[in-house]
Amino acid sequence: MNFDHDTVVGFTKSWGLFYLIAMAVGVLIYVFWPSNLERFHAAKKNILDEDDKPWK
Amino acid sequence: MRVGVLCSTKWGTLDMVAQLTTGERQLAIVVLSLVALLGLAMAAAGRADPIGVHGFIVLAICCGLIFVVLGAYYAPEPSPERLEHYYDDPSKVGIVLTMAWAVVGMFLGVWVASLLAWPDLTFDAAWASFGRLRPAHTSAVIFGFGGNALIATSFHVLQRTSRARLPDQFSPWFVLIGYNLFCVVAATGYFMGVTQSKEYAEPEWYADIWLVVVWVTYFAIYIRTLARRKEPHIYVANWYYMAFILVVAILHIVNNLAVPVSFGHAKSYSVFSGVQDAMVQWWYGHNAVAFFLTAGFLGMMYYYLPKRAGRPIYSYRLSIISFWGITFMYMWAGSHHLLYTALPQWVQTLGMTFSLILLVPSWASAGNALATLNGAWHKVRDDATLRFMMAAAVFYGLTTFEGSFLAIRPVNSLSHYTDWTVGHVHAGALGWVALITFGSIYCIVPWLWKRERMYSARLVEVHFWLAIIGTVIYVFAMWNSGIIQGLMWRTYNENGTLTYSFVESMVAMHPYYIARAFGGLLFLMGAIVGSYNIWMTIRGEAEVAPESADLPEPRLASAPGE
Amino acid sequence: MAEFHRKIERNAMGFVLAIVVVASIGGFVEIAPLFTIDDTVENVQDMRLYTPLEQAGRDIYTREGCYACHSQMIRTLRDEVERYGPYSLAVESKYDHPMLWGSKRTGPDLARIGGKYSDAWQVAHLINPRDVVPESVMPKYGWLQRNALRIDDLGEHLAALRDVGVPYTDDMIANATQDALGQAAPDGDFAAGVVKRYGQATQVRAFDGDPGTITEMDALVAYLQIMGHLTDAAYKQAAAAEPAK
Repeated sequence: MNFDHDTVVGFTKSWGLFYLIAMAVGVLIYVFWPSNLERFHAAKKNILDEDDKPWK
Repeated sequence: MRVGVLCSTKWGTLDMVAQLTTGERQLAIVVLSLVALLGLAMAAAGRADPIGVHGFIVLAICCGLIFVVLGAYYAPEPSPERLEHYYDDPSKVGIVLTMAWAVVGMFLGVWVASLLAWPDLTFDAAWASFGRLRPAHTSAVIFGFGGNALIATSFHVLQRTSRARLPDQFSPWFVLIGYNLFCVVAATGYFMGVTQSKEYAEPEWYADIWLVVVWVTYFAIYIRTLARRKEPHIYVANWYYMAFILVVAILHIVNNLAVPVSFGHAKSYSVFSGVQDAMVQWWYGHNAVAFFLTAGFLGMMYYYLPKRAGRPIYSYRLSIISFWGITFMYMWAGSHHLLYTALPQWVQTLGMTFSLILLVPSWASAGNALATLNGAWHKVRDDATLRFMMAAAVFYGLTTFEGSFLAIRPVNSLSHYTDWTVGHVHAGALGWVALITFGSIYCIVPWLWKRERMYSARLVEVHFWLAIIGTVIYVFAMWNSGIIQGLMWRTYNENGTLTYSFVESMVAMHPYYIARAFGGLLFLMGAIVGSYNIWMTIRGEAEVAPESADLPEPRLASAPGE
Repeated sequence: MAEFHRKIERNAMGFVLAIVVVASIGGFVEIAPLFTIDDTVENVQDMRLYTPLEQAGRDIYTREGCYACHSQMIRTLRDEVERYGPYSLAVESKYDHPMLWGSKRTGPDLARIGGKYSDAWQVAHLINPRDVVPESVMPKYGWLQRNALRIDDLGEHLAALRDVGVPYTDDMIANATQDALGQAAPDGDFAAGVVKRYGQATQVRAFDGDPGTITEMDALVAYLQIMGHLTDAAYKQAAAAEPAK
């Protein structure tokens, strides 16, 4: 691929923006996906448990 | 058998070696011998060159460690019961090393700060000149203090959050000791004038290659432990630690690409030159701040702060969103170190833009930490350890705001090249990195050594205030000197010529340089007080932990100073 | 497939890949084009190479950490141009492995320090800066005058630099040691050779004032005196812009 100034500017102004948006949307979907809620909640609480042992 | 013994006493080290299986002891001796041979080869190839001296240092350290292992080589095999517990010996040693590097690094910092106020406060010898002490200071605090803290706490957090023991007992030692070998080679190298002159990547090619080996092992430990975790979901603190390990590897390898003069020379030449080198260097430099000094320590914060406060993190989802924001956007921001230089304009603009957007995930992290404390403010008032972490989150918020601000082109035209940058860096290094580390260490020391609490809560309090006052004096001194400097350099008189000579601007700095050295001295004193407190805690008696049946004797008295 | 996915999740490899990809893009987009876009570095005809002595001096500048307090990058700002000279061009550090642009000015910028002061001033200043600038906070570098310069391996240094892209010729590499000796001893046998190989503009002097021995002081001063003078491009550009002002 031939990188000249226009290519880079073109990329940043078009695909760069889409890429940024896509990434943000992807992260938000992951974060708000209903079935993930429970594991997030568990992760949040679990570190406060006191049992100081490996599980297996 | 005593569990919580001193790591530095003969008993402690022997106990720790005895915890290794016979296979692991043999592996340790084989690996140490190989590295010792490597040192010998360096010594032979380098002769009078500094790489030869480094060869002897490597050889001596490895031989010393071989004797340590041999000292307990015939000790009985450790009981299989050890697998019922997490493996914390490397974390313990890591914490002691963290504090040792803190004192060394901060002492060097006070020294170099004093040299700027009183330039003759040194010996008439090359090793003791400012230019050689300064990288020793930055490396000792960033890599010695910060790096050891990250390694020690990451092993601790990784095991707890995965509910899995470290995969074996040899590789964590390889990482910890290998990493410290890197730090020692780096620091001694600076005194001999071995440096690539790339800021925060000064160590030469052979140290850099060694660090890659250590880092791959570190990564493998993480992956192998995570593979045996209990929950399918990985706790967010580990995300940050993982990003730290992975991205630092990428940055380190790319920025340090160099061709050595020969295998007998410490000296190498970077494969990059001029403007490309500048961009690579500050892509590295800025993201070393992002992923070494931010991501790793955020990992620390996301575990120890909720743990100490006894409250779950305010928003788990927000911590994930800010994770991806930081991981993605920081990497674009490096070019704000090169505004108005010969770097093409479009790269400068990208750097500035992303530096501004970066404020969003940064403040999300700081806000998340502070919101976690909502409802626990009485604990913050009473518990200096928690207050360390709270203050760290505040400084993190302030510093990231300042960072975005300084990346704005017109602001940067004034601030760049001045002490303002130094003040900004130290607001982050002292206010954020060091405070979160001290807070975490005050949590972890009683847990690891099975003590009820620190030796003296009052000394933690003293440390807290020394650290806060030292940081504030330092940062205010540098704000003043930086802005004055920047303004004096660009002041014109009515004839349209520059008003001040460079020397005049330098003279104006003198009082601030004294204040800065004083602020740094307070911070150093805090670290010494903290080290003493930690030392006394380790030396104290272990509490009777209900699950430890091998600790029959009751604890005699509660810790003094309470 | 389910088994494969379980494995990926267990090993956290998908996660690792995601971090690497997400984190790499910024650096790639900003750095890769710098190597391929032609106008990143100006094309000038008169760009000369560092002589072995100057390169040795540059290595000492690096070794002593001078970059921690002195920048070598004049920004495109009016006060900097008036204080230090024409703003720095990318081409001027084209052969700098690594660049020494610096990030802090505890002392002044040095990008155009070459020729501003005499050799004697530079030597006196390095031995004790406060002898010539009483307010200075710079360290003393007396040992540079006492240390003999290591010259036997300069050819290897040049060869390594050629490996990373500096166009040294075989002739230059083979004669590196003699050229270093020659540049610091104008009346010696090797002085003609260094001028032949590196051009008429090469400064041949006893930089530390003593033509008998070649010291680290010779090398560092030789380097300081060439700084900003590897090419005239910046001065020509500034002169061309002058009438327009």
